[in-house]
Amino acid sequence: MHGVTPHCWLNLVLANGGCQVQEEESLVRQAIQGDQMAFSRLYEEYFDKIYRYIAVRVGDRIEAEDMTQQVFLKAVKSISSFKWKGVPFSAWLFRIAHNQVVDYLRKRKKQPATLFDESLVTSNSNPQLMAERNLDVEQLKIATKRLTEAQREVISLRFAGGLSVAQVAKIMGRSQGAVKALQHSAIVALRKILSVGNDEQVQRI
Amino acid sequence: MSKSREFNIILNECLERMLDNGESLEQCLQDYPEYAGELKPLLDVVVATKKASAVEPHPEFRDRARYQFLSALREMEPQRSRGFFSWQPRWAITVAAVLIVLLAGSGTVFAAGDTMPDDFLYPIKLTTERVQMFFTFTTLGKAELNAKLADKRVDEIVRMADEGNSEKIELTALRLDSHLSGIADLAATGWEAGEATMAPEIEEAAVREGMPDVKFTLPGEEEVVEEEAPVAVAPPTPPPPAAVDEAQLMAERVSGANDVELETDRWSKLREAVRQDAVNQPARLRRLLETVSPSVRATLLQAISLSETSYEKALESLN
Repeated sequence: MHGVTPHCWLNLVLANGGCQVQEEESLVRQAIQGDQMAFSRLYEEYFDKIYRYIAVRVGDRIEAEDMTQQVFLKAVKSISSFKWKGVPFSAWLFRIAHNQVVDYLRKRKKQPATLFDESLVTSNSNPQLMAERNLDVEQLKIATKRLTEAQREVISLRFAGGLSVAQVAKIMGRSQGAVKALQHSAIVALRKILSVGNDEQVQRI
Repeated sequence: MSKSREFNIILNECLERMLDNGESLEQCLQDYPEYAGELKPLLDVVVATKKASAVEPHPEFRDRARYQFLSALREMEPQRSRGFFSWQPRWAITVAAVLIVLLAGSGTVFAAGDTMPDDFLYPIKLTTERVQMFFTFTTLGKAELNAKLADKRVDEIVRMADEGNSEKIELTALRLDSHLSGIADLAATGWEAGEATMAPEIEEAAVREGMPDVKFTLPGEEEVVEEEAPVAVAPPTPPPPAAVDEAQLMAERVSGANDVELETDRWSKLREAVRQDAVNQPARLRRLLETVSPSVRATLLQAISLSETSYEKALESLN
């Protein structure tokens, strides 16, 4: 389907992203007008991303499932109020998810400590991959506790939500440069935390 | 350009290539061999984080969520055009209530009482229930009414399954979910209100030590409705009574304590009723699977799954 510009699907990843945005805008407009098919396609596009983002932020599978459903139900209820004024649909949807997460964390009245709960690791038929992933989960669970809230948000939106820097910038209301800087500092911080953790482990052994 | 600045640019480029374009760590290192030593440990973190973030929704949840989403989509359109209580002002509900009282005299409402979702008079039954809910003023009362209506919805699903009406099974299952979610929400509200009464200082402290996180708002966007945490306001101190009749005070205390006991008892009864329903009602629906026509099996299964989740949620909230 390369080079097909008049009609390209939402899940077709193009280098410049132009067609994807155009297609998404068109779908959103149709969804606002009550086109259920269009809304369903947006749902399919964002369901996994929203789930991952929430799961990574709250670290609890059941809560993540419940909140993901709530995000889309709220989206259904509020889609008529969405206005395409340079604010992408993704930013709008992730903002709903973010606010859900904030409410949840506030109710729990404690820091979002568990970014990577082991209960979130899905069954995988490849034992080697599972072992690698569990190792990552264990290390990262501790490491991400020590990031700042903004760094954690960028990591969640970029890695779990699969959003671009531009999209993250829109959602967080920051410049792309600021998001890149946060991403950079988060990676460097994670590297330091993980290497210290490894050294401590080695020393203990 | 300084070396560190150049390195930062390269790191950002590699991050974008790996995260947005799906390129591998090796591809990036190959392009910048002079920085490979510094880049690799950082990009290893990127790979590890990406891997750990790749949590997948369980297939069962995916199906359940899709079903609920599509049902919500289908429900939205009739609500926009015909939803009476969703947009009518309160006076309109009162008018409807008066009409229902008048119609009750003619027997229409009575006749609608036992109707099923595929009956002509069924909308009147639903409207009557909404009016009943509207005029139920306590949290507990509303929760009890929702439990009663949930039982009715299960009866209706049973009948619709017998008649092989998939569409009505689906719609009724959503109404059942709505009643049970109502119980969960009301129980949470009731519980929170009880907690606040007992220990306002705890809640106040929680607000003071609240999350530093903030909600995002976007320019030109309508705020998604979110309820803010209530701010604790000290009630005005009543003036001391000129003379206190100790016997009267004692009587009031005893009466107040009885009210609390009575309410606690009703919540317990409701919890027990929902606990039994959570076991019996889905089981009742499950038994139907043996007898219903194959054309409604899939819908009935989804309805059962939704009912189980909804009962569980209601019970969890009541507990």
